Amino acid sequence: MASITIRDVRVSYNKRGSYALKGLDLDIKDGEFCVFLGPSGCGKSTAMHCIAGLIHPDTGEIRIGGSVTTSVERREFVPPQERNIAMVFQEYALYPNMTARGNMSFALETKKTPRDEVARQVDKTARMLGIESLLDRKPAELSGGQRQRVALGRALVRNPSVFLLDEPLGNLDAKLREQVRYELKKIQTQMGVTTVYVTHDQTEAMTMADHIVLMKDGEIVQQGAPTELYDRPSHLFVAGFLGTPRINMFDCVIQARDGSLRFNAGDFSIPAPENMEDALRPLLGREVILGARPSDLSIVENGEGDIRGVVDGVEPLGDAYLVYINIGSRVIIVKSAGGSGALSGSLALKASPDRLHVFDKDTEKRIGA
Amino acid sequence: METALDARQKTVMPRTPSTQKALHAAYYALLIVYALFCLLPLWGTLTTSLKTSQAVETTSPLAMPGSPVFVGYRGALEELKTPLLNSLIITAGGALGSVFLGSVCAYALTKFQFRFRGLFYLLLTVAIYLPYQAILIPLFRTINALNLYDTKAGLILLHTVFGMPMCAVMFAGFYAEVPDCVVKQAMIDGSGPWRIYRKVVVPSTKIATMTVLVFQCTSIWNEMLFALIFGAADAMPATIALNNMAGTLAAERNVQMAGSIWLAMPVLALYIILGKYLIRGYMAGSVTAS
Ligand SMILES: Nc1ncnc2c1ncn2[C@@H]1O[C@H](COP(=O)(O)OP(=O)(O)OP(=O)(O)O)[C@@H](O)[C@H]1O
Ligand SMILES: [Mg+2]
Repeated sequence: MASITIRDVRVSYNKRGSYALKGLDLDIKDGEFCVFLGPSGCGKSTAMHCIAGLIHPDTGEIRIGGSVTTSVERREFVPPQERNIAMVFQEYALYPNMTARGNMSFALETKKTPRDEVARQVDKTARMLGIESLLDRKPAELSGGQRQRVALGRALVRNPSVFLLDEPLGNLDAKLREQVRYELKKIQTQMGVTTVYVTHDQTEAMTMADHIVLMKDGEIVQQGAPTELYDRPSHLFVAGFLGTPRINMFDCVIQARDGSLRFNAGDFSIPAPENMEDALRPLLGREVILGARPSDLSIVENGEGDIRGVVDGVEPLGDAYLVYINIGSRVIIVKSAGGSGALSGSLALKASPDRLHVFDKDTEKRIGA
Repeated sequence: METALDARQKTVMPRTPSTQKALHAAYYALLIVYALFCLLPLWGTLTTSLKTSQAVETTSPLAMPGSPVFVGYRGALEELKTPLLNSLIITAGGALGSVFLGSVCAYALTKFQFRFRGLFYLLLTVAIYLPYQAILIPLFRTINALNLYDTKAGLILLHTVFGMPMCAVMFAGFYAEVPDCVVKQAMIDGSGPWRIYRKVVVPSTKIATMTVLVFQCTSIWNEMLFALIFGAADAMPATIALNNMAGTLAAERNVQMAGSIWLAMPVLALYIILGKYLIRGYMAGSVTAS
């Protein structure tokens, strides 16, 4: 009903001096929950504003539900008020002169929805967001998190063809965040509304998304299902961006020993997985970057491990421990599910070979499957 | 940077109580003298307006009237009734017209991107500093051609047109404080430009409207150049009528003074009623519109 197609969209804020979006190409399927992820300033909000029709791009075309809404070439542009989109701005953008109820009713009133229907919708949404007691307050009388919930409620009361949510939960406390996240995803699935969602929170991205779009400097670095990006990052940047704590990265030289290939990182040397032999053999003697996620390293008996180090510190997470291990020239992080926090002294680590990520040192692109 | 710091340190520097007291006394003495200087004429006007014409001749202008009488006020009102009504209509019309146009203009200039926006802004600013004397003759001919000479409608038109630029620039300052994302949100919520103006921008900047309205009412009420030239007889505003009254020897001084008070009263009332908005209005720039 409302898929979104973006073709070669470029946006410049300074008369084409530099581009905030550098030829964005993206397909979002009908009913899909698409999460934009990326460092601050990479163009997530800009892309969202293009979909909403708040920005005239310099080039490109955007279709919503098959019909062209923005086309620079064909000089077509559907104004935002005719796109039937509901949006939560990063800045909340509450109407300062209206109460929370007024804010949430505004769009429905614009569409001349019957009054009791509006009230019913607003009450229902407010209850879900836990703001029913705040409905008569003006934005100035609300806390940051409360304002954010009003902004979210204002989008949810509508029945749009697309939701654009720019960090809609950023200012909520952990518990509320989880609860609203769950409700939001449920509503979205029920309504089947195509949703674009911006967040900095990886848990949010991983749990809610059908499709993650990871951006950097106005370009898409990788897109796909959450597990795809996590398990097979196509680029060093993706590996570094997804996953907390951050992936451990080592500069290694590929060496051959006894007929098999090994990564030599200086402080240690570990065998390369066999299924990567073909991809790695041409790079023999060259430097690559090896990535191992903290949860893919395990602490083993001193004799068995490939990597040896001394415990530098332990952080309990509740259900697991983060162990900082000094391996000589640097400290690496291991996430140990069981075990105890009383680790100390020297120990050995083992990496799961099929969970290693290898990247080209120059292009930073993934090597092998 | 350094001088600002120095100044701060100086004010914080402890002083002996006696020098401080002397300084305070000097400050207050200065302020009192200044206040007297400003208030004495007003006092004189007030006392004279409450005296009979004999008392005006025989007592000092600053002396209290033995028992206040209102003959002056009655006489002045008799003379100024029609001009005051003219002023009231012209001020209301001119202020509403210029405030409305200025507000719409500022809304477009601050919240929408369009070609030549900068040029429009520049032209508005130029229009504010336009010396009216320079355009008086063409203006006179235009008003004549429109058959609006010596009519209230003519003066309303003039004040609407020439008040608009100042209103627009004042409003633009306030509207710049309304976050752009609020306007964009209203678009997303399905509203066109007019609905956004009526439902979001104007209601969230009430203080701005009050401030500009009071400013504009005061300016038009007190205005004399257009009033003199385009309101010669039938549409004569009170400022001119009062001036004429002061010019003739026939009118007694108590009547003249009472007339001044009559003229000042509406403006005073406006300030008293809307004063609280004004004070907040002047500070609104430093907080935010939201
Ligand atoms: N109105 C603007 N004028 C000029 N430059 C802008 C404007 N808005 C954004 N930019 C620039 O465009 C780039 C992309 O900005 P954008 O707001 O899309 O980033 P973002 O990914 O949403 O970041 P964040 O996560 O911090 O919200 C940034 O470099 C930013 O400085
Ligand atoms: Mg953003």
